[in-house]
This record gives sequence, C-alpha cells and structure tokens, in this order.
Amino acid sequence: MTLETILFILFAGIAATTSVLMITRSNIVIAALFLILNFGALAGLYLLLNAQFLAVTQVIVYAGAIMVLFLFVIMLLKPEHERSIYKIPGMKIFAFAIAFLVFVQLAYLILFSSSSEKVSPDVQASINAGTIETIGRELFTNYILPFEAAGFLLLAATIGALILAKKKIE
Amino acid sequence: MNFQSLINSLQYIKPEIVIAVVIVLVVTTDLIMGKNKSLLPWISIAGLIVASFFVIEQFSFKAVSSNANGSIGMITADPFGAFFKIIVIVSSIIIVFFSLSSNEIKEAFERHGEYYTLIFGMILGMFFMISSADLILIYLSIELLSLSSYILAGFTKHSLRNSEASLKYIIYGGASSGIMLFGISIIYGLTGTTNLYLLNSFFHLPQFGGFIFWLACILIFAGIGFKISAAPFHFWTPDVYEGAPITITAYLSIASKAAGFALLIRFIKVTFIDSVDASGYWQLLNLIDWKSFLILISILTMTLGNFAALWQSNMKRLLAYSSIAHAGYLLLGLAVLSDQGLIAILIYFAIYAFMNLGAFFVVMIIANKIGSEEIDDYKGLGYSMPFLSFSIAVFLISLTGIPPTAGFIAKLYLFIALVDAKMIAVAVIALLNTVVSLYYYIKVLKNMYLVRPEKEMPAVLVSPAAFAMLIVLLVPIFLFGIYFTPLVNLAKSSIGLMGF
Repeated sequence: MTLETILFILFAGIAATTSVLMITRSNIVIAALFLILNFGALAGLYLLLNAQFLAVTQVIVYAGAIMVLFLFVIMLLKPEHERSIYKIPGMKIFAFAIAFLVFVQLAYLILFSSSSEKVSPDVQASINAGTIETIGRELFTNYILPFEAAGFLLLAATIGALILAKKKIE
Repeated sequence: MNFQSLINSLQYIKPEIVIAVVIVLVVTTDLIMGKNKSLLPWISIAGLIVASFFVIEQFSFKAVSSNANGSIGMITADPFGAFFKIIVIVSSIIIVFFSLSSNEIKEAFERHGEYYTLIFGMILGMFFMISSADLILIYLSIELLSLSSYILAGFTKHSLRNSEASLKYIIYGGASSGIMLFGISIIYGLTGTTNLYLLNSFFHLPQFGGFIFWLACILIFAGIGFKISAAPFHFWTPDVYEGAPITITAYLSIASKAAGFALLIRFIKVTFIDSVDASGYWQLLNLIDWKSFLILISILTMTLGNFAALWQSNMKRLLAYSSIAHAGYLLLGLAVLSDQGLIAILIYFAIYAFMNLGAFFVVMIIANKIGSEEIDDYKGLGYSMPFLSFSIAVFLISLTGIPPTAGFIAKLYLFIALVDAKMIAVAVIALLNTVVSLYYYIKVLKNMYLVRPEKEMPAVLVSPAAFAMLIVLLVPIFLFGIYFTPLVNLAKSSIGLMGF
C-alpha cells in the first residue's frame, strides 16, 4: 500500500464518519464542529488529487470564514426550538430519498464514466491550472491589477469595520 | 516568461500608483501624528496635484497595457480616460476644501485619517473604473468605489438619517453589484474572456445574439445604472444624498457619476462597435438595440427626476432628484451614439461639476449658519446673506440652463447633437423637461428673495475661505457661459478612446 492510498483511506474515513456524525447530532453547535472536521478532511482529499489551490480555498473560505459565520448565526439565534423540525412526519423519508438520488448519481458517474487513464489535453490543462504554481504566476503577472485592487478593497473594508465598530464620536 | 511587456505597461498606471501611495501615506501619517490631523488635507491635495501631472501626460497616449505573453491587458491610457480623471481630480480637490469648512466633518475630528483614506479609496476605484478594459477589474473597481462610499455615507454616525443612508446604500449597492456580477459571469460563460477588446472581436462572429445575451447586457447595465443613478435603479439616491454628510453627497453626485458614465461609454463603445463612419456616427454591432434602450432609460430618468423634484421640501433631496434628471440628459447624449454626442457629454460633465458642487457648497454654508436644509427656512435669506443667495441663484439658473451661464452651453451642445442626429422628438421631450426643472429651481429663489421671513435675521458674513471657494466656483460658470471655445476644443480632442 502506498502512502497515497493510506492517506486517502484516512481522509476519506474521517470525511465519511464526520458527515454521518454531523447529521445525527441533536446539538447544532456540535454538528457545526463536525462539519469543520469534514471540510478539513475534504481539503486533504483535494490535496491528494493535486488540486492545491482548491484545498487551500476550502480551508480558508469554508472551514474558516463560512464556518465562523455559521457559528455566529447559531449563537445569535439560539435555535433550541428548531429540534421540532425532526418531528415532522415524512421528513426523514424525504431526506433519505434526496440523499439516495445524489448517491446513485455520483455512483453512476464514477462507475460508468470513461476511465481517467486517457486524459484529453483540455482536461490535462485544467488539472495543471489547479496548482498553486500556475495560479500564483497568473495572479502576479496578468492579474496583478485586480489582485492589488482587491487588496485596497480589503483595506477599505477593514477601515469601514473599525468605523462602524467604534462608538459614537464624543 | 517575458516580463518586459509587463514592466513597459507600468507607465499607463502612473496616476493610479500615485493615488495608492497617497492612501498608504495618509494611513501612516495619521498613525505617526496621532492627535494632530491638520496635515492630512494638505497631503491629499499634494497627492492629487502630483496625480494630475501624470493624468495630463495621458492626453498624449492612446495605448492599452499588455500581458506577460504580449496579449491585450487590462488597463488603457487614452485622452477620453484622462478627461474624466481630470474631472475626478478637480472635484476631489474641491471636496477636500469643502471638508475644511464643513461643520459636520469638523465634529468628526478624530476620524479624519479614516475620512481621507476612504476618499482616496474612492478615487482609486474611480480611476480604475475609468481606464479599465477588463470586466474583472471593472467589477473590483466598482466594489472599491462602492465600499468606500457606503462607509463615508454613514461616516459621522450622528443622527439616525446618517446610518439609514449608509444602510440603504449598502443594501441597494450589494444587490446591484451582485446582479452585475451575474451578467458578467454569463458573458464569460458565452465567450471565455473578460477583456472588452477580445469580447468585441468575439461579437463579430455570427453565432452571438439572442435572449441570453440581451439578459447579460441588461444585467451589467443595471450595475452601472446604479452608479449613475439612472431610473429604474435610482431609488437609493434621494435617501443617501439626504442622509450622507454634504461633502460626500456633493462628491457622489459628481465624481462617482462621472466614473460611472466613463465606464458605461467605454463598455458600449469598445465592446459593441463595428465601425465609426466619416461623420462620426458609431455603427454598433447588430446584437442589442442600445439606441432605443438608452433613449427609453434616459427619458424615464429625466422625467422621473424632474417631476419628483417638484414636491421636495429639503434642499439636499431636491438636488438629488435634479442630479437624477441630469443623468437623464447625459444618457441622451450617449444615446445619439456619435462623436458629437460624446463631445456634448464631456462638455456637460465639465460644467455640471462646477455648478453642482457650487450648489451643494452654498447649501452646506447655509446649513452651517442656520442649521437647516429645508427650503422653507430659506425665506428672506436674499437679504440677510446676499452673497450666498446670489451664488446659489447663479448655480441653480445654470443647472436649469439659462444664458449667460455655462449650463446653457452644456444643454446647447446636447440639443445640437440630438437635432443633428434627427432625434427631434427626443429633443422636444428633453426641452419640456428643462421647463419643468425651471419651476423647482425658481421656487428656491422665490423663497429667498420674495417671501418675508417670520422673524428678522441679522446679516451674516461669509468667511474669507468660503468666499474664495465660491469665487473659484462662480468664475467658470460665467467664463464658460461666454467664452467656451477652449472647453469645446478640449472636449473635441478628448474623445479618442483606445482603439478608435
């Protein structure tokens, strides 16, 4: 067994377990924490597929920013009474049906689509585009202006947040 | 990889580099000097003057930057962009002087560092909007401009209406930039490029057109229409103009609108042009009927702006609706789709900047003195503040477009362009709109000169700084009203866009 296979089994195991744990927890904060773990494991899987940029954005955007937003919303809204949603009749059947449909679709794609052995040049180019090297080079040459503009955008946003957070002027 | 072409392209973004340096300078000066903020306005003005040198240099350029592999890049340098950048710089300098004599801004003394930083954030966004030739950079620059102006609109956080203005602006702005991004993503999906010049060559191919294409272009127009406050994307304008600090209101009504128009003209002309014929009419590609669309939007905008202004009792709201109406006239200049229409737009903007800034400045000075912006409180001001009342009378008459003020010249060139293009019916509608606008402008003057105030007010003197500022704003109104040849010549030499 190569190292890659071992890592794949490890990450895939974590991802599968945490996703099941996430949907079965009744405490919504704990469910959200399992979701973070799941995102982290997915990022590991992306890395194994040589999609480095996707892995990094997965960690920064999903596991970082969006999860913080989730937790804030959960803590602000205190959704205790949301538990009653599980008691709606037919809800579970509906959820199972949706999940089963998605599973069949993915399984069909994986089992019956053409083998990944013979990769067309287009696909190869898109695989290469996902590496940090390519993205970094594009970002600092052809896309340097939008990159810098985005930097100033973030500066303005930071200053704005400071102004809004400060109390009224005396 | 060859970086030489990238380094060569650096010369096209000199003004933007200067503005970016000023942002960093203002932030660090604010940090080092601590409580002493008196240096900041002067750093800002010095930075703007340095930037203006590099912008004037761009009048002789007609170029587009290039990527590392030599293909067409994202930024252009041409006389058209330089003209609009000069308008932005001049209005920014005037706004910095406004801020020095505004009570509202003086009270927010501790935040002057943030104030000037965000103003320069707006300027950087506007510069990129004016000269960008790529949808990605266009979107980011609009966001940079919007985000800075959202914060500035709620900057003083004094009253409820200030926060209300900021919040309304954020909600409308966020929605419209989301809509615009959706349009851009459709265009990118159809063509695989975001560069306006490459899009133009793609659109020459026969397979483009149809409903989805229409949809994408209308969605992009919605984003730009929000910035220039064209109907039906104008809802934010009166509330934001009323609630924001008046320096920011004046700034939004000139600079932000100028940048929006520059972007709209570049987007339409560069992306959809087929050829320019000998008499200066633009033959657009037969994809979208921009002419009918723009005529429709502009008539809607000016009629709505003018008629809604009739019922306003607050001076800032009145000027907000009047600025919507003026956006309608300017869109009409674009709808002609000719070089002559473009010249009319440039002349209009140069003159509009002075008269609108002037009107807002007088409203600010009067608000400093009497603490009100209501038109009813202006009763009898003609006698207690003779010079201020005279100035606002000149600015309002100029906004209407009556000779010998410069506003007449602006409207004259617009109508000549319309009549030359055989758009008589549209010209008549615009003319009738001007008559309507006369009513609400004159209503203010009537209140100041013909209505007796409830209680006698002592004569109020204008400070020397404000007096000097008013002279600076009044002189061009009369000068361009009588001797307008230099302005027309400048506009004629500034219609060159990169590529055409």
